[in-house]
Amino acid sequence: METFGVVVIGAGPGGYPAAIRAAQLGASVALVEKESLGGTCLNWGCIPTKALIHAAGVFAQMRSAASLGLKVGKTSFDYAAMVERKDQVVRTLRNGVKQLLAGNGVKVMEGTASFESRNRIVVNSKAGKILIGAGKTIIATGTTSSMPDFLPRHGRVVDSRAFLELKSVPARVIVLGGGIIGCEFACLLARLGVQVAVVEILEDILAVLDADVRRELRRHMEKTLGIRIYTGQGLENIAAEGNTVRGTVAGDTLEADLLLAALGRKPVTKELQIEKAGLRVNAQGCIEADEYGRTQVATIYAVGDVTGGPQLAHVATSQGLVAAENACTRHLRRNETCFPYCIFTSPEVGAAGLTEQEAGQKGLEIKTGRFNFAALGKGQAIDDHPAGFVKWIADPETGQLLGAQAVGAHATELIAEATTAIRAELTVTDVARTIHAHPTLAEAWMESAHVLLGEAIHAVARRAR
Amino acid sequence: MVRPITMPKLGQSEEEGTLVQWRKKVGDAIARGDILFEIETDKAVLEVESFFEGTLLKIVVQPGTTVPINTTVGFVGDPGEAVPEIPAPAPGPQRPAAPSPPPKAPQPQAPAPAGKLPEPPIPAGDLRTAATPPPRPAVAAAPEVFRISPRAARLARESAIHPESIAGTGPLGRVIEKDVKNYLEARGYSRLRLTPAARRLAVQENIDVLTLEAAGTPERITVETIRRAIAEKPRPMSRMRQVIASRLTASLTTTPHFFVTVAVDVTELSQFRSELKARGMSFSVTDFILKAVALSLAEFPDVNSTTDGSNIQWHSRVHLGLAVNLEQGLVVPVIRNAQELSLAELHDCAEELVARARAGKLTPDEMSGSTFTISNMGMLHVENFTAIINPGESAILAVSSALKQPAARNDQVVIRDIMKMTLSSDHRIIDGAMAANFANAVKNKLEEISLWKRLA
Repeated sequence: METFGVVVIGAGPGGYPAAIRAAQLGASVALVEKESLGGTCLNWGCIPTKALIHAAGVFAQMRSAASLGLKVGKTSFDYAAMVERKDQVVRTLRNGVKQLLAGNGVKVMEGTASFESRNRIVVNSKAGKILIGAGKTIIATGTTSSMPDFLPRHGRVVDSRAFLELKSVPARVIVLGGGIIGCEFACLLARLGVQVAVVEILEDILAVLDADVRRELRRHMEKTLGIRIYTGQGLENIAAEGNTVRGTVAGDTLEADLLLAALGRKPVTKELQIEKAGLRVNAQGCIEADEYGRTQVATIYAVGDVTGGPQLAHVATSQGLVAAENACTRHLRRNETCFPYCIFTSPEVGAAGLTEQEAGQKGLEIKTGRFNFAALGKGQAIDDHPAGFVKWIADPETGQLLGAQAVGAHATELIAEATTAIRAELTVTDVARTIHAHPTLAEAWMESAHVLLGEAIHAVARRAR
Repeated sequence: MVRPITMPKLGQSEEEGTLVQWRKKVGDAIARGDILFEIETDKAVLEVESFFEGTLLKIVVQPGTTVPINTTVGFVGDPGEAVPEIPAPAPGPQRPAAPSPPPKAPQPQAPAPAGKLPEPPIPAGDLRTAATPPPRPAVAAAPEVFRISPRAARLARESAIHPESIAGTGPLGRVIEKDVKNYLEARGYSRLRLTPAARRLAVQENIDVLTLEAAGTPERITVETIRRAIAEKPRPMSRMRQVIASRLTASLTTTPHFFVTVAVDVTELSQFRSELKARGMSFSVTDFILKAVALSLAEFPDVNSTTDGSNIQWHSRVHLGLAVNLEQGLVVPVIRNAQELSLAELHDCAEELVARARAGKLTPDEMSGSTFTISNMGMLHVENFTAIINPGESAILAVSSALKQPAARNDQVVIRDIMKMTLSSDHRIIDGAMAANFANAVKNKLEEISLWKRLA
């Protein structure tokens, strides 16, 4: 039986960086993966969707190029070619991960891991069962799409992963679920000219965001992209027959060629047999870990989606690095608490730290400052009608930046500055006094800091009532 | 007619009271019996009611201020009436955090009539003549003055450090900017990883960042670090807590305590209580203990005595203190003349006092003068504990929980309800044998059901 200092289960964005960091710290490391290196993020999530969303974005720009004084002939797209390019991107990155693991001396084992005891793991591979010993174990098995029982089992009812394998794009799509995945797919499809309806049972789409950001995004999704959005009601009488899917919501009968279910994700723990290691899943099916990534069993750590966190690749990566360091060194490090959300809708959304609605729930006093992209030189230069704004949320006593949200072009890139500022506990004044390059969209952070301080140059203070 | 409201004398031993909080604002209509304000005495926080009708015209004494008994704290009258000008009294020494009115303000003094609430108000006319400040103790010579230049003080403040320990090199040992800079360098200030928001919070809250735990390690000093330091700042104890602290310390350090524990078999007493309950008479275990102690104290007069070290004073009456745990601290209401009370009367008296204690309505007089105290932790699931003798007494009985335990009866092991009691005694008066005999006298009474059948 081969024994490793650290065994990592799952080669997604939580697992493979953990394996590399553990190897960098001198541990002998095995990484067990049952499907593809890179996990959901690289193969069926973040990366392939962004490849398609980018193409759809360029296509939308081609169609609106006339407003910039450009002449474009008849526009069209070849969806099969877009999918082939997407697959190529995934292959390139997957190969990159493979080389990184090899370069760091991580032993990659293909198969499904299950615990025999807290420090013995069986890898069920095509070649048979292999028993390995594990000094420390990091569980990073992630999540998979929930397909609730009320959905018909039919080829026209798919989750996001199955959708990405389609070779042609349907003409009409119902997106069930108005969370991040649902909204991203809805915008992607709508920009390719697909007729899209989104049905969300909660009162609004993207409930994690503040109301003003949701309002801005929803207005564009409905007005500019023509997406029908139903909120506060579920889709009922769902039926799939031949090439058609139907359902009713709010008295309307929706008919489409495809139903995309984006109803959340559930932790992957079934094959792990963690009870043999002395662990148990919680009521939500998650493996709980503390702020140091430790589970209830001293030698076992858990990171990423399987622990029930915010289901973000970059959070999983950060937790993976923390767990690897805590497993291999004596200096304990805590998980980072400040992280950005990046939502690749049209317009894009970025958010980090405290939201206004969280502050309200916690009864915290806050001050906010908002600045519209339309008031920026760069905003006008790149768009006739620049959408969106950025917003700071700060402590009124110390001026500490507690949260930020951005909605508009490149918001997912812009949120990085805000995340750094919040994590570094900068104050509003620090950002207000930092020279921001002109003309850029990032100026909005400085301008909104000025607004928060009541010193705006490029916005007129609203008259007090 | 404008009438002054005064700090009431709520107990015979009270010399001053702290006004904690006004319940009425200037301009509020006042009805007879309305709660005007809350005061804190050595023993409790109490509500003070109005004896007049009218409008609250003026508040003289601000919350957090300690003033002598009978000081005018405000005025009630008809709206628009002229209020006599009297300066606000200086806060007492107990509350350093109180807002500071002008120092050496005259404090109106009036003869303190003996007796309880309600106090007759002082006629307004007396205020003009009786305004003489009480003599203030001479302040000890001030320590050497700390001198610092404005630039140095500003640098220290903006760096969130306390400059008091810096050795000054300026004239008269004045700390100058260079001294602060040298100090910061010597203490490794530049190596602190202090976040901007943490620094600003530390400045606001007057936290010295060089004293923080994260200083000197690779960890950052974050807002969380500062918030922890704020939470760990020493807070003044409530006056009640301070009094508890000093009295218990004085008792334990000046009285030679010793402890005797007996195990009481309360199995039959529990059954008897159930029988009484079935007949509509509800008694607590405490009621039986009160009675058993009152009876035993008659048999052991020395236990109901006190000493100053040279004399012994016997107390002919049994005033039983009953310790009651409240959120703010312990209070000990006193059942007077317990030797004369029947079991039912003891029950009623204890019930009323405990209810008043929980409602914060005990007056200081109801909490003083006890000759023996009982502390019952029966409901708190304890096997056994010892109590500290209440100052002015010679013994205290600590009663623990009745627990099912194996016991030997007729050489057989049986399960009985056993309740341990520990007597703490002042060894200057009470010797071991007397304590043992007293404890057993109480125990024997509790175990003798025929006695209770007569008394209940």
